[in-house]
Amino acid sequence: MPDPTGSPSPAGPTAELQAELAACRAALEALRAEQAVFAHGISHDLRAPLRSIDSFVGLLARNQSLDDAAREQLERVRAASQRAGSLIEGLLELSRANRTELAPAAVDLGLLAELQLAALQDAEPAIVLDAAVAPGLLAHGDERLLRQLVAALLDNAWKFSRASGRVSVRIEGAREGDRLRVSVRDHGCGFDMRYAAKLYAPFQRLHGPEQGAGHGLGLAVAQRIAERHGGRITADSAPGEGATFHLDLPAADADAGRSDG
Amino acid sequence: MDKEILLVEDNPDDVELTRIAFKEAKVANQLVVASDGAEALDYLFARGRYADRNPDDLPSIVLLDLNLPKVDGREVLQAIRANEKTRSLPVVVLTTSTEPFDVEASYALGVNSYIQKPVDFERFVWAVQQVGLYWLVLNHPREGGT
Repeated sequence: MPDPTGSPSPAGPTAELQAELAACRAALEALRAEQAVFAHGISHDLRAPLRSIDSFVGLLARNQSLDDAAREQLERVRAASQRAGSLIEGLLELSRANRTELAPAAVDLGLLAELQLAALQDAEPAIVLDAAVAPGLLAHGDERLLRQLVAALLDNAWKFSRASGRVSVRIEGAREGDRLRVSVRDHGCGFDMRYAAKLYAPFQRLHGPEQGAGHGLGLAVAQRIAERHGGRITADSAPGEGATFHLDLPAADADAGRSDG
Repeated sequence: MDKEILLVEDNPDDVELTRIAFKEAKVANQLVVASDGAEALDYLFARGRYADRNPDDLPSIVLLDLNLPKVDGREVLQAIRANEKTRSLPVVVLTTSTEPFDVEASYALGVNSYIQKPVDFERFVWAVQQVGLYWLVLNHPREGGT
């Protein structure tokens, strides 16, 4: 911002830059506040009518006098409202990933992975899960966000493997200096590396719903969380040969996990 | 007779769904509906159109939505906790929001429980059933409140 009086400020350009920085900070803060209002509006006001649609369609579907065609159409309405619901959920997660204040601590990524795999197995007990999770993968970060990140990667591995009835996941990693590098490898349907750049863009999907694609926000959220921790996610894959996601995050202090023995 | 349940909810669909859910959960207590926060407080403190109510006759539980016209859910909660008569009245927030901010604000204001309305109706019935079982059957309220 130029000095409105037109006179050079006594402290020179530094003071000007500082004023500009302060203005930017205030604008950013206002934007964040607005985003929070949006998220709240979406969370409450957009979810409520969806719940009505889903619930009343569900109640209608109990009606014994419906024929098969009517029942199928109601099922389509219901499936659509549930897709919209999961989309809202995804958008909220993305917005939270952007604006949650980080509360960093030592976080055991392996433990988070085990929890998520247990939840996925619980939801689909018929799938055979073959998981190997290395111990001691300690990152320095926000536990709630990192849980989301790990969940997004494993949801992906699950979604794109489950068609075969078997999900196989290997999670390994090592500390390199002050970084923690972790790889999450699955044997699912994989993807074509030509489209790798689209993986983390919101609403970009590399697969159709019949292959297990969801709302197209999971990896966008995961990447955003990695970036907020000063890290990033990369991936390599080939169609039909599974995918490996590489995760780079700050490592926890070497003695943070000592109590684990 | 069983004490009433006060449902503070401005969305008529949600009122209807809660009614059906309570019926399916076999909760027999009468459901009193206040469609905004001001009406809820009038009912609880026997004011306005509820001036002829006995103010000592409190509901067994208040189910409170957060986003309400006029006086919002947080203010209702604050007013309930600030009044000697209603201070220990069980209040369960039943809302669509899972924003951590809403959850924290509600607990900070002394809510007894925070429940997100599940999108799926069968799960909603289940949630309402749990609320009914816990607050209307298992929980032993503080004496002298009535």
